[in-house]
Amino acid sequence: MTIRADHVAGVFFIGFGLLVIALSGDLPTGNLSLPGSGFMPKIVACLTIFFGLVLALRARESKPFATLSWADAKHAVLVVAITSAAIALFERLGFLTTNVLMIFALLAVIERRRLLPATIYSVGVAGVTYVLFVYVLKTPLEAGPLGF
Amino acid sequence: METTLHSLYLGFSVALAPANAWYAFLGCLVGTLVGVLPGIGPLAGISILLPITFGLNATQAIIMLAGIYYGSQYGGSTTSILMRIPGEASSVMTCIDGYAMAKKGRAGAALCIAAVGSWIGGSFGVLVLTVVAPPLATIAIRFGPPEYTALLILGLIFLAYMSSSSLIRTLLMACLGLLLGMIGIDNMTGHFRYSFDLAELGDGIGIVPVAVGLFGLGEILSTPSADAVKEIITPRLRDLLPTRKEWSESSMPIARGTLLGFIIGIIPGSAHIISSFLSYALEKRVSKHPEQFGKGAIAGVAGPETANNAASTGAFVPLLALGIPTSPITAVLIGALMIHGVSVGPTLVNDHPDVFWGFVASMYVGNLMLLALNLPLVSVFVTVLRIPYAYLYPLIIMFCIIGVYEVNNSIVDVWIMLIMGVVGYALRKFDFDPAPLVLGLVISPILEQSLRQSLIMSNGNYLIFFSRPISAGLMAVSIGLLVLAAYAFMLKRADWRTKLAEAEAGEAEL
Repeated sequence: MTIRADHVAGVFFIGFGLLVIALSGDLPTGNLSLPGSGFMPKIVACLTIFFGLVLALRARESKPFATLSWADAKHAVLVVAITSAAIALFERLGFLTTNVLMIFALLAVIERRRLLPATIYSVGVAGVTYVLFVYVLKTPLEAGPLGF
Repeated sequence: METTLHSLYLGFSVALAPANAWYAFLGCLVGTLVGVLPGIGPLAGISILLPITFGLNATQAIIMLAGIYYGSQYGGSTTSILMRIPGEASSVMTCIDGYAMAKKGRAGAALCIAAVGSWIGGSFGVLVLTVVAPPLATIAIRFGPPEYTALLILGLIFLAYMSSSSLIRTLLMACLGLLLGMIGIDNMTGHFRYSFDLAELGDGIGIVPVAVGLFGLGEILSTPSADAVKEIITPRLRDLLPTRKEWSESSMPIARGTLLGFIIGIIPGSAHIISSFLSYALEKRVSKHPEQFGKGAIAGVAGPETANNAASTGAFVPLLALGIPTSPITAVLIGALMIHGVSVGPTLVNDHPDVFWGFVASMYVGNLMLLALNLPLVSVFVTVLRIPYAYLYPLIIMFCIIGVYEVNNSIVDVWIMLIMGVVGYALRKFDFDPAPLVLGLVISPILEQSLRQSLIMSNGNYLIFFSRPISAGLMAVSIGLLVLAAYAFMLKRADWRTKLAEAEAGEAEL
């Protein structure tokens, strides 16, 4: 049997629905005249399982899973990795330093741009944005140890 | 009527105040840029730029954000016509004949007709909104929990029915959104739900991190810069005026697009997208020369472009009159107003007349500004497209981070945005449209609360939804739609929605 995209998606949603029901164990369901906090999540989780099942059963209409293109996955993983690092550093280094580093890393590591243009662009763009928000729009941005 | 005119006068005095007019202009300008740039749709654009409005008052904020919304509808046509890249989803149909016209040297005429059609569609929408919204709000005050429950259920079913992807996929996305919307403290019992001891999750997951993650970051993850290079046709200013024949061939498509777009706009769902597809199908059906569609028929530009702008304005009717978002974009606008302490709903017109009427009047002004902006400055907007994508997306990621962080000053929200970006990437791989997820997230608390209140009111008797006239009517429409969908499914018949999906995927024959 060919595994198709909707088989995978359907199984994921069934699993997700079951996970929600498992996590809802300590939430009171209540009854129809006094529904508890677990009432609605359990209904929606059951619907998710049902629709996931229908999706998996009708999977022959979808593409084979093996034919899905993952050519952009390397780009996606690198962007996620650099953005994660930036988010982790955001409150420690502040807006300006973090974004200069993030934009520089995206340009130098992923896009293989030359270091000088990448440096000028990252400093320029982050700097202009900082001035725009802090001084023009009066919207404070996260400050780092150096005060910006 | 006299009251409406008096209120509209109040609105214009608010909208034409220099500061407010400036923010309307800024919104239109930024919105046009958002529409022009491929990959940033109006939803991501509004979400990312939300923090810019924090320093403004509620009226200025909504005027600016709405300007971004309808400005992006205008701007989306530019890339469609000149590059065959839809700046945002509702411009997909414009690519077909708009680009074909550009290849024949009629890019200017296509852009002009798109701008004029957009202006007429948008202005007509505002006119009807002015007349319809206040009386509708008066009726909506009588809505109780059963009516709201029935209306929201109808909204979800309508969204699934109208969606060009499959009913099951849309409902799955809506369920996922509903579940995400249940994270946090239960309003009725005070129980913490799925918050995993994170205090930040106590208030639930916000619309902004989810919308920015799914639509902003998700799009970037799916688009390596090597794939984003395209030939750009630059129109000359003197070629902007259409010929007499082109005007005459566009007049009826513009009229039909205006009516069709507005009606679809007030129905829940991604109305501006659906309306442009339906308008294209309609124009091809009624045309005396359907064989010209796909080869540069001006009706294929005029109809869809008019319809998507009329639909964008129509979507404000349920938002302003009922407080119910019919699309993820209007949902983010509600969020923006709530941040400014304005509660959207039937009481908005009485509680905040300056916001309501100022906003309505600003749309008249904004539509004129867009007409003035889009035609003479088209070559300026085209220049923006020359910025290499490799330099553009780091900038967008930076704005995504600021946009999300500034809403609550919460780094947890930024992590949620990143997770939703990865989710958005995966959903695209498996052909799921993330828009119903955002809508589900927004209506989840209202739906849950009104459903539970209805059941408590009726002592557990679910027939309450069928015993009150308004809710019974709404439930009957919901059941009718489900029966129609089941009928089409059982007969395995390709109805108009299937054809729409095929067209969306490959711009196939409609």
